[in-house]
Amino acid sequence: MAEAEVDAVRERLEKYIGHPMGPASVAPDPVNVPMIRHWVAALDDRNPVYLDDAFARTTRHGGIVAPPAMLQTWSMPSPKIEGIAERGGSPVEIPADNVLRALDAEGFTGTLATNSELEFARYLHPGDLLHVSNELESVSSRKTTGLGQGYFVTWVNTYRTDDGEIVGRQLFRVFKFDPRTIDLGKLKAAR
Amino acid sequence: MSRVPPRASELAVGHELPPFELPLTSTMIVAGAIASRDFMPAHHDPAFAKAQGAPDIFMNILTTNGYVSRYVTDWAGPEAMVKSIKIRLGAPAVPGKPLRFSGRVARKSEAGDECVLELAVRAANDLGDHATGTVVVTLPGRP
Repeated sequence: MAEAEVDAVRERLEKYIGHPMGPASVAPDPVNVPMIRHWVAALDDRNPVYLDDAFARTTRHGGIVAPPAMLQTWSMPSPKIEGIAERGGSPVEIPADNVLRALDAEGFTGTLATNSELEFARYLHPGDLLHVSNELESVSSRKTTGLGQGYFVTWVNTYRTDDGEIVGRQLFRVFKFDPRTIDLGKLKAAR
Repeated sequence: MSRVPPRASELAVGHELPPFELPLTSTMIVAGAIASRDFMPAHHDPAFAKAQGAPDIFMNILTTNGYVSRYVTDWAGPEAMVKSIKIRLGAPAVPGKPLRFSGRVARKSEAGDECVLELAVRAANDLGDHATGTVVVTLPGRP
């Protein structure tokens, strides 16, 4: 592939860096015990600080706390079930213009999640209402991997409570690839 | 949770967490996806997942983080506070392939009256490493 073309795709993505991937949002519900109960049952997590308030008060948590890995769960939008498969699995209407849609349009339609980094400034308590904002942190130069050619796209979600306190942060990195560039011979050899 | 939590003062770098094997069923993958409010069809609809090139429905990232957190706190106990979970994602976690968790203390330091542990954690199945990375957790008490 000509060097000039590689730069052209990457250059068209430059304008998105440092900007939101989509609108900021507020969690549909504050942190609450019913959703915690659902989660700990699903994952069979028996840490008593998530549901046993009397016990949790004897620990340094001071009362019931939400499982830290639920951070993103609180801010997940209420899904629109109808048409979910047609939207490629997106539970909500997709913003018309963001870096992922731009890469789709350039032929880099494949998506593989490669990294997740969660940081917790503090544990959440029932009643905490989360506000989440996001920002596109970086887009790599074009890379060639076992999944063909593509770009690593990294964005960060920041979680705040009502009074603006930052309680957590989440970095996501995905590889957006062009499925037509996958070297099947190489893939087979790797197995 | 029936184990006695480790004492910060007794932990050294290199200490291995007890290994844990999680048998994985479709129900567990779907339960995790819905409890984390992730309705992406690849996590509950086998036909959709296969059309995307996956062998079956596969675990969503939120659930993976949840199990990594559970693995660490099952060992570290209810006084533990998880500060971060940073993972690299690899092979999909699919029904019928148990996930094997392992971990060890990679670093240990002191912050105030807390012990800060950096744990190298891995969850693998027959397809390879599903998630590898670092969990930072604090325990009360000096190292």
